[in-house]
Amino acid sequence: MLSLQHVSKYYQVGGNKNFVLNDISLDVDEGEFISIMGPSGSGKSTLLNVIGMLDAPSEGYHYFVGQAVHQLKEKQRSALYKQYIGFVFQAYHLIDELTVYENIETPLIYQDFKGSERKAMVADILDKFQIVGKKDLFPSQLSGGQQQLVGIARALIAKPKLILADEPTGNLNSKQGDEIMQLFRKLNKEDGVTIIQVTHSEKNAEYGSRIINLLDGKIESSKNI
Amino acid sequence: MIKNYLKLSIRNIWKHKVFSIINIVGLSIGISAALVIYLIVHHDFTFDQFHKDGDRIYRVVSNYSFSGDPSYNSGVCGPLPAAVKNEMTGIESAAPFYTLNDFNAIIPNGSKTPTKFKKQQDVVLADASYFKLFEYQWLAGSIKSALNAPYQVVLTSDKAKVYFPLLTFEQIIGKQVVYEDTIKATVSGIVQKPIENTDFQFSDFISYSTANSVKDLKEQISLDEWRSTSSSSQLFVKISAKLSVANIEQQLNALLKKHNPKKADDNSKSSFQLQALSDLHFNEKYGSFDSGTIANKSTLYGLLTVATFILVLGCINFINLTTAQASQRAKEIGVRKTMGSTRMQLISQFLSETFLITSLAVIVAIVVSPFILKLFADFVSKDIKFDLFGQPSLMVFILLLTIIVSFVSGFYPALVLSSFKPISVLKNQITSGSNKTRNAWLRKSLTVTQFVIAQFFIMATLLISKQIYYALHKDLGFKKDGILSITTPFKNNTAGKKQVFLNQLRAIPQIELVSVGGEPPSSSGTHSRSVSYTDGKKEIKTDLELKMGDENYLNIYKIKLLAGRNLNPSDTAMQLIINQNYAKVLGFKTPQDAIGKYINMGKVDKVNSEIIGVAHDFYPKSLRSPIKPLAITYHEKAFNNNTFHIALKPETAGGGEWKAAIASMQSLWKGIYPNDDFEYQFFDERIAKFYEEEQHISKLLTWATGLSILISCLGLLGLAIYTTNLRTKEIGVRKVLGASVSQIVRLLSTELLMLVILALVIVTPIAWYAMNKWMQNFADKTPISWWIFALSGVGMLIAAFVTLSSQTVKAAISNPVKSLRSE
Repeated sequence: MLSLQHVSKYYQVGGNKNFVLNDISLDVDEGEFISIMGPSGSGKSTLLNVIGMLDAPSEGYHYFVGQAVHQLKEKQRSALYKQYIGFVFQAYHLIDELTVYENIETPLIYQDFKGSERKAMVADILDKFQIVGKKDLFPSQLSGGQQQLVGIARALIAKPKLILADEPTGNLNSKQGDEIMQLFRKLNKEDGVTIIQVTHSEKNAEYGSRIINLLDGKIESSKNI
Repeated sequence: MIKNYLKLSIRNIWKHKVFSIINIVGLSIGISAALVIYLIVHHDFTFDQFHKDGDRIYRVVSNYSFSGDPSYNSGVCGPLPAAVKNEMTGIESAAPFYTLNDFNAIIPNGSKTPTKFKKQQDVVLADASYFKLFEYQWLAGSIKSALNAPYQVVLTSDKAKVYFPLLTFEQIIGKQVVYEDTIKATVSGIVQKPIENTDFQFSDFISYSTANSVKDLKEQISLDEWRSTSSSSQLFVKISAKLSVANIEQQLNALLKKHNPKKADDNSKSSFQLQALSDLHFNEKYGSFDSGTIANKSTLYGLLTVATFILVLGCINFINLTTAQASQRAKEIGVRKTMGSTRMQLISQFLSETFLITSLAVIVAIVVSPFILKLFADFVSKDIKFDLFGQPSLMVFILLLTIIVSFVSGFYPALVLSSFKPISVLKNQITSGSNKTRNAWLRKSLTVTQFVIAQFFIMATLLISKQIYYALHKDLGFKKDGILSITTPFKNNTAGKKQVFLNQLRAIPQIELVSVGGEPPSSSGTHSRSVSYTDGKKEIKTDLELKMGDENYLNIYKIKLLAGRNLNPSDTAMQLIINQNYAKVLGFKTPQDAIGKYINMGKVDKVNSEIIGVAHDFYPKSLRSPIKPLAITYHEKAFNNNTFHIALKPETAGGGEWKAAIASMQSLWKGIYPNDDFEYQFFDERIAKFYEEEQHISKLLTWATGLSILISCLGLLGLAIYTTNLRTKEIGVRKVLGASVSQIVRLLSTELLMLVILALVIVTPIAWYAMNKWMQNFADKTPISWWIFALSGVGMLIAAFVTLSSQTVKAAISNPVKSLRSE
């Protein structure tokens, strides 16, 4: 599904290159559930952002669903991730001024779905996540776990092939975290959604099918479970 | 999508209430100013725009110059209209008419007490050609027959309703209106009163041929006198599209030369000129008609500039506040971008938000504007009304204004906001983004611009107030308090009646002194003649302004006599009291030297007038005109001495004496002039009136100043919020390291106050230049003192500092733990 070849990301500091990602090569197949681990500053989030096309690497080749991302223009890139990728953030990043319903609806608006279609899709996912009763509340009226649930619902609404989750449980207590992980596993197993998550927690990492360990911008180990 | 934007906009406006209110207030001030000024300017610029072929219609006006002094008259000499019709080519139609002022009209109704309408102003003599040139809608009667015979009159619809309130237009035809007790005119037509703005406000059109049958009128019009011109005698022409204005003017002047050949000793020049219809409402040399008011184009352009400035201030404010607020919106933008929004979609989202805020501001402005108009009611024409649904052009203007203001104030913030990179937003790096420096720089220049504008207004207001104060408090060379003047009627008045009135006035106990003469020492009218003096070697020719008075004139106005004696009752127009200026012009070293000398007044009998006294100089006009040679003398027998100058005794503590005196004068007046209204004018009020225009400008500028200071301070507040937000962490660190509140306030304020000072430096030369230009209107002027600039600068600094304190102090006393915790 996606392939990174010799990808590096660095900042020029004086005469030295300060590597955040250093010559990373990685292939991800459809249906995988990958957990990226590593200490702070090892480049986990940057790797995720590069995969999500929010950040561009300094060097290397990046292919996504058969397209050479490193050759695409900004506009084409955003069209690509709009269609295939859903993002889940540690801090949820819901829009405070929008209700639960409207937050979930937003990606559909940007993908030019018709009003009636949007209604059906949002209703469907609200139902699936059992948050129908919360649809008119604003983010500030929800608990952290509920907010993240909305965040995931929003990421899934446009039926992406790939979910990128940056420490999705980082702000949650362990019980809420477990529920979110259960949900991810279910999505991966039942709906076949490819998931790449960044996490600090060994326990959460084990929900995945492969664990990649990063250290100082390099892949230190990669093991299948 | 639009619905979505709208919903979000409303929530955003609601969430950031303070910012929204500041934005809406700032914009609505600008928009109200723009609306009100649009109404004023639009009113004046739409005068007489509706006439068919208006671009080819001209008024023939007369220009003169007497020994180099130019003068202008909006009329033509009596015989010209006939000559134009008979002897000229290239004129498609010519319409002469003659304006008549203060005409009484009586509507006979069979009873002994017919309805009487005094002093009608809009009566003219006209013929059918007037209605051919200016098309009116005929409600009754017809253009073909209405004004052909003598003693016919055409009324406008509104006037007809005044004269005959109970009749229909058809019924009014054939009814009689008696003008000036003798001219019995029959109503032969009724035309619709023009609904558009026009200076042609005439309502009673008496047939021109009536003049041939009425001796008084015939003399007044003097149809065969080429050498006399009255501004009442108007001539409008429509010229052929093929001919140029210059060609027609040439033909007109050839006519003049042919009929009125110049004499050898005549050192005056006269010529005709064509005045475009569009110029009629604006040219103060000619005025519109005898009773019409005109507008000053430069004042109108000045108003437009003021409106633009205030509007720009409002927009700058919006840009400043919105970009300052940007970091608060950053997260939303980042999220939206990762959700797949394009930049265009974000730009249109922000623009629609701006549009909503602007619309709210427009609604506020629409509510407020009628009150602002009322505020300026004393110098804004009463025809200017804020009638949203009755004025389609106003609707269009408001719509355009909304769109333009939304775009101007919304475009840049939308660009800035939509340019945020999602990755840096989501990593909380937005405050150190690459946009920051450029952004701050732009915001600072905008703020400096605001303060340049605000301080310019402050300085201008200070200077104009200073000049008005100077003009009203300067020693003008005469006394002006407690003196009033009454002008007895021009018509139906005799020397006997005036003598009776004078004797009765003198008997009123509250009156100190009465003088009979012409204009008071300072007046808008001028009466002057060319005079000469021969000092043995050479002849000194000048214009000499004359003030008519009697032996009490000097005493009433407390004009100081420097040499010689006052007039006494045995003197005549042969004795002169000249002013110091004239004595100097004639070359006398001391005033005493002038006494007993003779001046050639250019009279037919060649008898010279004697200088019997020299008076201290005084200003015969407003301070716009310099002091020129002048003499005070008895009136000549041929002239009317109609004006009574009355010095009242000072009022005692209880007051009320003047009121009583005026009441007794009024009852005396009623006894002598029962048909005329009693009118009086205090001299000091008359002088204050000279500066009416300045007073109006001053009032307007005071408002503009207040508003621009308010808006600018709002803008500064926005900038202060922005910088304190930006430096929260720095402030926290400094406080932990031991900085005091005052040190932090100073740190935060200095930079912004420097902007105000920079603005002062920029605006001072500009304001100085502009003020100098304006002051050239005045012959005698108050100096442009340094303290005007200093006061404006200090005032602005104080206002700015107070505004800033509200933010800086808050930032300085906040708990540093809070601001440092976020990492």
